[in-house]
Amino acid sequence: MKKFWALFFFFWPTVAIITCLIAPSRGWWFPSPPMSRTGVQIDGLFYLILIIVTITFVGTQYALGYALWKGATKETDSKAVFSHGSHKLEIIWTIVPSFILVFISLSQLDVLAEIRVISKFPDKAVRVAEVTARQFEWRIRYPKPGTELTTEENPGDLYFVNELHVPIGKPVIINLRTQDVQHAFFSPQLRVKQDAVPGLVIPVWFDVQEVGTYDLVCAELCGWGHYKMKARIVAQSQSSVEKYLKQLEADQNADGTKAATADSEE
Amino acid sequence: MSLTPSLKPSALLSTFAIVAAIVGCSDSGFESSYVYSPGTSSLIREAQDGTKESSGVKALLDEHFGDPQHLRAWEKMPVDFGGTVTAIEEIKESERGTPVVKLAATEGKPFSVKPLNLQLMTGASAGKTVSISEWNAETNEAVLAEVPENQIVAGDSCAVDGGTVLTSGRMLYMRHCSHCHGTSGDGNGPTSRYLTPKPRDYRNGVFKFTSTNDMSKVSREDLSRILRNGIPGTYMPSFLLMKEDEHHAIIEYVRFLSLRGEYERKLVAELSSDFSQAAYDSRLKSGETKADIQKELSEFLAADLKESAETLGDDLAEIWTAADTEEAAIVPAVPRVPDSQESRRRGRELYLSKTLNCADCHGIDGAGNGPQTIAFEKNPITNDLYNEPGLHDIWDNLNQPRNLKLGMYRGGRRPIDLFSRIHAGIKGSRMPSFKNTPHEDIWNIVNYVLSLPFESEPGGTGIAPSAGTVTAPPAN
Repeated sequence: MKKFWALFFFFWPTVAIITCLIAPSRGWWFPSPPMSRTGVQIDGLFYLILIIVTITFVGTQYALGYALWKGATKETDSKAVFSHGSHKLEIIWTIVPSFILVFISLSQLDVLAEIRVISKFPDKAVRVAEVTARQFEWRIRYPKPGTELTTEENPGDLYFVNELHVPIGKPVIINLRTQDVQHAFFSPQLRVKQDAVPGLVIPVWFDVQEVGTYDLVCAELCGWGHYKMKARIVAQSQSSVEKYLKQLEADQNADGTKAATADSEE
Repeated sequence: MSLTPSLKPSALLSTFAIVAAIVGCSDSGFESSYVYSPGTSSLIREAQDGTKESSGVKALLDEHFGDPQHLRAWEKMPVDFGGTVTAIEEIKESERGTPVVKLAATEGKPFSVKPLNLQLMTGASAGKTVSISEWNAETNEAVLAEVPENQIVAGDSCAVDGGTVLTSGRMLYMRHCSHCHGTSGDGNGPTSRYLTPKPRDYRNGVFKFTSTNDMSKVSREDLSRILRNGIPGTYMPSFLLMKEDEHHAIIEYVRFLSLRGEYERKLVAELSSDFSQAAYDSRLKSGETKADIQKELSEFLAADLKESAETLGDDLAEIWTAADTEEAAIVPAVPRVPDSQESRRRGRELYLSKTLNCADCHGIDGAGNGPQTIAFEKNPITNDLYNEPGLHDIWDNLNQPRNLKLGMYRGGRRPIDLFSRIHAGIKGSRMPSFKNTPHEDIWNIVNYVLSLPFESEPGGTGIAPSAGTVTAPPAN
């Protein structure tokens, strides 16, 4: 029975090693490969931390298993010895982890700055839309084609709900705000997550690399309908986005007469 | 509540029962029921429950609409119940002794790939549902799983997999809508008490934001638009990501609930003047005897109500069908007047004019603060004053006029949406129809209203003083 527990504690780090080796290639960690450039960096950070954690976990677990195994195979008639511990060891296991933590916090600073610090935003990033979260949907406002997005609404702005169209291959900024409580703008495939805070307009930038439809969900429990707060981000070529906005403009200016309908069908 | 035993099979003509089992067992465990309206409960007991010989309001309602677990499809109703209605062409016997029915082919409406049920609508077995064990798609022959109690004959009409749309609509409705709008569509779901404005009570058959004329019902497209876009400024969210067939199913179920509610109201209206509890009490006071009134009621139920039960259904079917036709749709006679300073100024003139009097409710600056918003209003039904000042809708909720400066357009922000709001009014609310106003004038008002959120100062018609003066020529 004593040996069983030693083997038990050897078993788990072994499972951990195998899992950590297989998982990245099988895509177990993430819902999809990263679809934005910052997403690649975020995944890189995740793997860096994963490696550190795996080594630490495996190391301590094997050490535990080894100690148990030694105890299990030892002659039993010797008495247990009381010890005050080792000053040296305690210093080591305090200093080593603190170095690791400092290393982690320093190594993610660049990525964090790139994502969050406004002065570090890519120069060419275009403000494509304002996304207003509310219970329980995402209201989108695009600037009138040919104009810049401002915090205030302007005549001719285009409105839609639960579907955000963005161009691929270039950094885009959305202005995130909320009409009521806290929400969070979360696109798992794009690795974008940002809280929407009442009273603030928070710019969020990302660059989608591939054409596709990505999830946009709320990641901050915002009320009883939190689960309903699902939208989609449609990433397409610049020309398709322009075409979409043109259609949206035509729809929004519809005056219900035949002439207008014919125009919008062109 | 099950069908009253007094119902004769002939009464089930053109109604087929939809069995919840069609959609499988995902409905298991949870039973729900429709509630009857306060109107029904205001009637005397016998009018609600019927007499030995004739059905009362409740039985008529259940007969035509069923309950959530056993929905009934009243073929007359303009609802896409799903499935295919057809007739039995020929009956043979299978090797196992169960009947094989050959069904008449239907044009345009194919049978499902693998039909599961056959609902009989006429004949001795009317109202019964039989499972189909085998199906031959080439010959349209169905081997029935069992021998029905009563005989089936060639010529009987039946529905194949009837009600599939309605049952899936109910499932989706219960999941996404019922917590606010209530199981019966009475706007009284558990979350409704926390909401302002209140969720819509469908039972009046009235929907606010439509593209149809003031006297018309809501069209399917209007319901679909609301479902996709949500209603900003209220708790109605967008259900854009739902699939097309899910939209369709929910809309048909909402129509079903609206029709049920409206049918109930109409039945109650037939009875309430003479047989409501209040009328009954006053009749007793004025010297009539209990027995007389009872006798009159049973005669009324047996003859008048029985007849009007059918004609009321026909009327409902007619007006709801008409809402989806071209005649009902609002089509402006002239295209939108180009949005110019001149047009906005003309719009403002009309807005302030005595004839249209928009400012009486919406305020002279459009801030939704006109004098009517602080006046005490009378309830048009009871003639009592409401407890709080302001305008009320037909659901008796305080429903103040919109602040037009917010740029929040519940029924949509397209010019045609605003045009429709002015042309047809907002049904159920105190916003009246201005259908007799020349369409050009309506467009001018639309242009003015759309400019309000961007006004630099009240009455500035949306253009900053530096950008132009009142005397400047109209700019397009």
